[in-house]
This record gives sequence, C-alpha cells and structure tokens, in this order.
Amino acid sequence: MNKILNFSKRNLKEILRDPIIYIFCLGFPLVMFILFQIINKYTGGNTPMFEIDSLLPAIIMFSFTFVMLTLALMVSKDRQTFFLKRLYSSPMKSYHFILGYFFVGLIIGISQTIICIVSGFVISLISNVSFISFAEIILLIITQLPMLITNVFLGILIGTLFNDKTAPGICSAFISLVGILGGCWMPVEAMGKFELFCRFLPFYPSVYIGRVITSAQNSLGITYAFDRIAILGLIPIALFMIANIILSFILFKKNMISDK
Amino acid sequence: MNIITIDNVCKNYKKKKALDNVCLEIKQGEIFGLLGVNGAGKTTLIKILCGLSKKSSGTIVINNFDLDNEIDKIKEIIGISPQETSVANNLTVKENLEFFAHIYHKNVLEIIKELVDIFDLNEVLNQRAKTLSGGYKRRLSIAIALISKPKILFLDEPTLGLDVFSRRELWQIIKKLQKSTTIVLTSHYLEEIENLCDRVAILSKGELLKKGTIEEIKQSTKTDTFEDAFIKLLKDENE
Repeated sequence: MNKILNFSKRNLKEILRDPIIYIFCLGFPLVMFILFQIINKYTGGNTPMFEIDSLLPAIIMFSFTFVMLTLALMVSKDRQTFFLKRLYSSPMKSYHFILGYFFVGLIIGISQTIICIVSGFVISLISNVSFISFAEIILLIITQLPMLITNVFLGILIGTLFNDKTAPGICSAFISLVGILGGCWMPVEAMGKFELFCRFLPFYPSVYIGRVITSAQNSLGITYAFDRIAILGLIPIALFMIANIILSFILFKKNMISDK
Repeated sequence: MNIITIDNVCKNYKKKKALDNVCLEIKQGEIFGLLGVNGAGKTTLIKILCGLSKKSSGTIVINNFDLDNEIDKIKEIIGISPQETSVANNLTVKENLEFFAHIYHKNVLEIIKELVDIFDLNEVLNQRAKTLSGGYKRRLSIAIALISKPKILFLDEPTLGLDVFSRRELWQIIKKLQKSTTIVLTSHYLEEIENLCDRVAILSKGELLKKGTIEEIKQSTKTDTFEDAFIKLLKDENE
C-alpha cells in the first residue's frame, strides 16, 4: 500500500503543478455550466436540456472525459520521459502504478463533481429555482462513480498505448463523441433509431440515470423515470467499466517489458 | 567473484539481431565498461540486465539470482541511471529523492542527506527538476539510482551531453562510488572508458568483439593507444 500511496502522492503533485488541470479539469466544466445557463436564459428558458436539473448530470459525466485526458497525458508523458521505464526496474509492480494513477484520477473526478454541484447550487440560487436535495446529491455522485472509474482506467489505457503526441488527439475525439452519444447537449430522442445505439454505450444511460435522480425533463417535456432504459443501461455501464479495468491491467503490465 | 554472468545471450527483433551470443562476466567491485558505436547493443544489454527488456535466449545470473526466475530479487539490488531524462520533472530535487527513497523503504532522511552531500545538490534541493541544468540532472539521476544502496549500478551514457567540467566532476564521483558498488557503464567516449573502467567489453552490431583490461585489448590488437585498438577492431569486424 505504501508504494501505491507514494506513487499517488507523486502523481498528485505533478498534476497540481501543471496549469492544464485547472483549465480543463476544474475550469472547463464550470465554464460550460455557466455558458449553457446563459444560452438557456437567452432562449427564453424553453430548452429543458439546459435546465440545471438536466445539465448537472450531463456536465458531471462529460467532465470525467477531461479526467481521462489528464491521465492519458500523464501516463504517456511519463513513458516518453523514461520516468516509468526507470521505475520498472524498481520493486514496484504493475498494480502499484495503475492504482497510483487511479487514486489521483478519483480525487480529480470527485473534486470536479463537487465543483459542478456547487456551481449548480449557486446558479440555482441566482436563478431562484429549486435545487436537488442532499440525499439526491449523494445518490447522483454514487451513480456517476462507475463512469468516473471507466474514464480513469480509459485514460490509463490510452496513455499506455499511445505517445504524448497521439494520446491527446484520441482523447479529443472521444470527448466529442461522448458529448453527442451521451445526449449531453442534444436530445438523443431526436436521433431516431440512432437512440438505440446510444443505449448500448454507457454514456447515455449514465446521464439518463443522473437525470432520473434530479427529476429532469427530456426534450418532450417528460420527466425521466427509472424505466427500462435506466435498468438496462446498467449493463453497458458495468461492462465498459470492467472491460477498461481489465484491459488497463493487462496492457500496462505487457508494456512494462515491451521494447517500445 | 563474478557478480554478473552473461551466457550466450541473444536479443532478436523482427528483422534485426540486437545481441548475438554475448558472453560476459563482471566481477564484484569493478567498474565495467560497455563500449561501442550507436546501435552496437550496449543499451539493449543494460535493459535486459535490469529486467526492462526480455532476452530471446541465453542465461543471465546476477548476484546468484537467475534473471528469468528471480527478477524481483534482482530489482532489489540494482540501480539504473538511464540515458534519457528520467526524473519527475515537476517535483523538486528533494521530492524526487524522497519519492524514490520511499519505494525502497530506506531510512529516507539519512540516505537523502548522504546523497545530497556526495552529489553536491544542496544548492538545488528545492528547485524543480525540469529547471535544472544538464549536469545537475545527471547528478540527480545517478543519485536516484543510488537511493536503494544497490550492489550493482548501471549507468547508461552518464556524461552524454555534458560539458568537460561537469564530466570530470562526475568521473570523480563515479570513482568514489566504486568502493561500495559494482558499476556497469556504457559510453561512446573512449577517454571516459579509459579513465574509469577496470575492464571493458567492446560491442559492435550486437556481437562481442573483445573484452579485457585496456592494456590487454591494446596488446591483443598490437596498438599503442586504446583509440587505435578500438578502431582496428571495428575495421576488422567490417572486413
């Protein structure tokens, strides 16, 4: 455990001393929240997707993709600078490294979530609309944890497989896809049969479940309910999380004795 | 006593043989040099010895531990300073040393103080690693390699890119380290090998051309200088 915590401490220091974390991980979701609120105001408040209760779960889930980007950059940079190669010759094992990166990802993700929730709360006070209860906040955080874990391990995976020039591009493409396929900014219901495809991925179900907790309404004005979409959505969420965890451990270990 | 025994080690990539039946013995307490031009196989051999790359065939025994089956025990007794920058750039010198010290559960404060004195890092202790000059980065890198008080220290091109003053300073430090640890170093610089090494192995295109002391190599090639001996060996190999 000492080695894991030691490595986590190093990773946390590295990240906190890099301004990118403040811009992308902590600042960007906050900016998006405010931006969509402004858009909603200027459209006369007629866009249910941009109401706080709908936006909050979407931004939380979407913000985790920036955690993925941060970790992918960190892992790929550590590989490029041969810092990791040096550590591979030490008594540290593959799980020390992975969990060392994971705990830092978890800290950033939870910090982001708290920032999003506090932002939502402040905006709701300003806009004089009701906000979710404390119990709903806790439930929202818990239900979004699997997506956080998925993104953390996906970041480790991308950083393991790609160099620091390629990893950001791949992450950027993924971030764009998540925004669309997760129904974050545009209603998935309006995509026709494509909605079915979105249900097989974990992003839309995760946002959907979040909106059930916040009692948000979809574009048709119908309140989200814990229906078949939400229940079946737990399957891709769980499968993606497990697959990313397993792949990360396997490929990172393989990379440790790779000649690349 | 041999602390490292390398027996018929080969390393093959898809189209290339990086090491071809290399046989070496490295004695405890000596400074052993691996000399060769780019692509000779020096760094490949070092990486295999440190468990960073797998050999294709052959056997390696380090401090009586078999590399294939007891790599974890070997990792406890080796230290490596790679050719490339391999420190945590956003951490200070002190934080870097603390981080590596905690991996080995060593008496952190004591070992750091000792290394800071040896490598004269007091002035830069609270400076971030990425702001260090090349010379200080090298010193930090070698200091980190010594954190675990290794029995064997691998230095891959330790003075590459350094000015002549920094290089000479590092040579002094490396010579002092010989008292407590066996050192295997790779280098392009003949002068460095001559100044530091007790024995040398000359590699070319993955093959071992010659091994022995500088004098033995000069005598066997019937040359007056080590440089001439090195060039002659390479020329003969190409013919």
